[in-house]
Amino acid sequence: MKLSRLAFVFATAGLCCGALLCAVRLHAFQRVGDFGFGNAESSTNVKSEFYWSRLAYTSSMQSYGSYGGGYWGRTSWSRDYPKADRQFLVAMHRLTRIDGRPTEQVVRLDSDDIFNYPWIYAVQVQTWSFTDDEAKRLREYLLKGGFLMVDDFHGTKDWENFMLGMRQVLPDRPIEDLQDNDEIFHTLYDVDSKMQIPGEHYIRTNRTYEKDGYQPKWRAIRDSDGRIMVAICHNMHLGDAWEWADDPNYPEQFASMAFRVGLDYILYGMTH
Amino acid sequence: MFSLLFKYSLPVFTKGHFVFLSGWPAWLLVVLIVLSVAGLAVLIQYRLKRAAVETQGDAVRLSTRRAWVLWALQGALVALLLVLVWQPAMSVAELSSQQNIIAVVVDNSKSMATPDADGKPRETAALNTLQSGVLDGLNKRFRTRLYTLNGGLNKVESLSMVTPAAAATHISDGLQQLTEQTSDLPVGAVVLLTDGSENSGGVGSGSSIGLAALQALRSRRMPVHTVAFGSSEASHDVELEDVSVAASAVANARLAATVSLQQHGYTNTHATITVRDGDKAIAVHDVTLGAPGVIQTEPLFFSAGAAGAKTLRFSVETLPGEENRDNNALTRPVLVSDGKRRILYVEGEPRWQFRFLRRAEEEDPSVQIVSMLRTSENKIYRQGINSPDELADGFPVKAEDLFQYSGIIIGSVDASYFTPLQQELLREYVDRRGGGILFLGGRASLSDGAWGASSLGDLLPTFLPAGRNNFHRDPATVSLTQQGIDSPTVRLLEDPQKNAERWRKLAYLADYEDPGTPRPGATVLAEMTGGRKRMPLLITENYGSGRTAILASGGTWRWQMLEKLGDPSHNLFWQQLLRWLVADTPGPVTVSASARTLSDQGHIDLSAQVHDRQFHAAPDAHVSAHIIGPAGVNAVLEMMPSQETPGLYTAAYTAEKPGSYLAEITADAAGSKPGKLGEDVLTFQREDGVAENFHREANRTLLDQLARDTGGQAWTAATAKNLPRDISYSEAGISVRSVKELWNMPIVFLLLLSLPAAEWLLRRKWGIV
Repeated sequence: MKLSRLAFVFATAGLCCGALLCAVRLHAFQRVGDFGFGNAESSTNVKSEFYWSRLAYTSSMQSYGSYGGGYWGRTSWSRDYPKADRQFLVAMHRLTRIDGRPTEQVVRLDSDDIFNYPWIYAVQVQTWSFTDDEAKRLREYLLKGGFLMVDDFHGTKDWENFMLGMRQVLPDRPIEDLQDNDEIFHTLYDVDSKMQIPGEHYIRTNRTYEKDGYQPKWRAIRDSDGRIMVAICHNMHLGDAWEWADDPNYPEQFASMAFRVGLDYILYGMTH
Repeated sequence: MFSLLFKYSLPVFTKGHFVFLSGWPAWLLVVLIVLSVAGLAVLIQYRLKRAAVETQGDAVRLSTRRAWVLWALQGALVALLLVLVWQPAMSVAELSSQQNIIAVVVDNSKSMATPDADGKPRETAALNTLQSGVLDGLNKRFRTRLYTLNGGLNKVESLSMVTPAAAATHISDGLQQLTEQTSDLPVGAVVLLTDGSENSGGVGSGSSIGLAALQALRSRRMPVHTVAFGSSEASHDVELEDVSVAASAVANARLAATVSLQQHGYTNTHATITVRDGDKAIAVHDVTLGAPGVIQTEPLFFSAGAAGAKTLRFSVETLPGEENRDNNALTRPVLVSDGKRRILYVEGEPRWQFRFLRRAEEEDPSVQIVSMLRTSENKIYRQGINSPDELADGFPVKAEDLFQYSGIIIGSVDASYFTPLQQELLREYVDRRGGGILFLGGRASLSDGAWGASSLGDLLPTFLPAGRNNFHRDPATVSLTQQGIDSPTVRLLEDPQKNAERWRKLAYLADYEDPGTPRPGATVLAEMTGGRKRMPLLITENYGSGRTAILASGGTWRWQMLEKLGDPSHNLFWQQLLRWLVADTPGPVTVSASARTLSDQGHIDLSAQVHDRQFHAAPDAHVSAHIIGPAGVNAVLEMMPSQETPGLYTAAYTAEKPGSYLAEITADAAGSKPGKLGEDVLTFQREDGVAENFHREANRTLLDQLARDTGGQAWTAATAKNLPRDISYSEAGISVRSVKELWNMPIVFLLLLSLPAAEWLLRRKWGIV
């Protein structure tokens, strides 16, 4: 093969690779640019009343990635994403009359688009960090009537890190432990007795806790009228329970409890 | 001048009857006149022809036209002579001298103390008129009785007892009282000296003489001679004419009031209207005063505030140089209730609209949302219920269960979710019970919920479009219609134009549903534009005793989430819309009163419409009214059932003291199912001396009408000197019918001389003497 022909082949291959990379980047851009009210043309992004909205936040642990780098890679906010979300939505469709989109929606705090989604879900919140504008936007979101459910953070250190961000958003709001008779546990299912819901590590370790989070903490932050605006699931991992619900090794009682609590939280958010 | 020519005064001719004293038949006079005049015509015709023959072509000096002029003059003279031969006369009823009483009634209300252009109070002018010969003239021929007129009629012995200090002018009541007090006296006529500021109906009720008073006067043929004092309009004054505001409201509801005012001397001047609850100003409205003497109407909107019986004071600021500063304010009693109106919200699926609507109403202490939400196929999540049993079996199937709610919201619910019985209950709820139903747009709402094809299709304020694909999860922008701009229901900002602008800038709706076209009689308050199509958004309609509305969207929640934090638009909109929905929904007991403000008198009629638990008229209830008033007034009245209207109970009460009164009406069921049916409360007030501050300008129109309707005459201070002479022609009292011969009237002699003289002069001029 002549050198010139070899160069042509390499050049062509390079161009193809470049085009492929561009396509991937464009795909990522379109996902970001696709925030909004869905698309009537799409079978998955169908316009609906309810969107399972997962909060994508900047992480205080840059190695886990952030908006700017590795957005679709392994990041804190996308733990269990999207399988947990979609399996939960399957259950929601079967068990409620909520007109929800079958696929999740990613929302971010650097845009007012978040105000179109009055219910959001966040995980690994011990790693979240906010700029002043993001904290202000989340505060306004909650005070206007938005609902936030946080999940999958464990132990004392995680709580402290979570609270660093939370105090940036709501400096003065007290956090309380929810009682079994709280309305949030009775909107669709009466969840009177609750257990610690472990992540998928339970399959291997038979442990329900992670780190030093031995006891499940069902907590909340209320607004000035006593309505819950932040539901906190500390020392447990509902997202994993949804994600691994179809694994025969993951105990059914954990998955069932996680679905019931998740549906109660959504119904509470849509009725209070 | 009239009397000089005609010998007698005008009333002789206006009140008397024309007669011939000769006894010969009147037809004969007519025949003779016709024959005479015709004979003259024939004679003239004959002489004209003869003259033409004799002259044979020479110019005829007496033309035909001139000949007929002469004929007319001769004919008139002959006719006049013939009429005189028949002895014409006027037969008129005349009061017998010294046998009749003339009632001299002097208005001594406060308005008579008003100084007019000459600087003298009206009362002084009235007394001067009487003392400058009128009273003496009357006394020469009649007996006179002096009265003062104010809120009633009082007999006085001398004019020195008349001082203009009374708090009211009730001309009708006074005249009626006069007829009653003098029923056995020969009153020949009434002389009424007043400015005509009648205010028996209170401020803003207009002024006229009551029918009862007119009938009493007419039955005695008693003429009222009015003597008007005062100028017809003030030179510099702003006056509140009336204030219209609801008698009751729910706490914090948005109240609409209409203030009517007029001015003289302040055209294009800016003024401020203020509404006060006690010392607190609750609304301020700037106006530019319009044309003088023209009623100007200004709308006002304000919050009813906390619950309680309130006396709202509406005032327009006093302008420099105002002649009357006491007519710039009016008060109105308003009862603000804190009883929560319960609205049943039926929602077929979890929706953000449901959640944000509930949150908006949680801020409203006057409305409570009782909701039933279908969370899953077989589960209903209930909120706002009073007991575990409420709505436990789903949507009510009994009238007494459904009719307890003041309003109903139907969300994304297919019409088939309701059984035929429940659909009929919904119709009865609006039509008979007088409730309000609001239909929301949604996935299973309106046409997409097959409501158009249901038995309740005509309940909706629109003709729904065909098909079930009219709901779209696409953005829609909103704006107000002109009716919406004028409506308090959709008022987010005080200023109507700023409010319209605010609506145009509201965040777009998350979804919309085409509601079709409004029915005749429906009102479109707001519109939306979605998919490049303009459609009604908020449509209201009165149906039967109640009302229905459509809000053709389930996406107003974006107004809460997308507008700035703290923006009240979303919550305010819902609070006002739902207050409109329930504001006019009656309770089991609905009380009303003949008046809310009693001016200078205390009589009030109370009536209560009582319904049983199925909202049928309750004719056998026990109804009582507990009245609490100023200075410890405390009374309990039994209200009696009406014989004509089932379920209506009435009672009369007299509020003796000025101040605010509260009437609590309670109805208890009798018969087989005893128990309390319901209660209602109303407020009213008695004001003494306030109405007299208004309409102080002389009401000559009223006095002219009174004189005309009773056979009297309208006089002024300048013409009243002739009153003693002309007043004697009356059929009231002791009167005799006198005959006034007309042959010797100066006008007759003048005609007898002037007609031949005119003929002679014309003949001289034309050269045919």
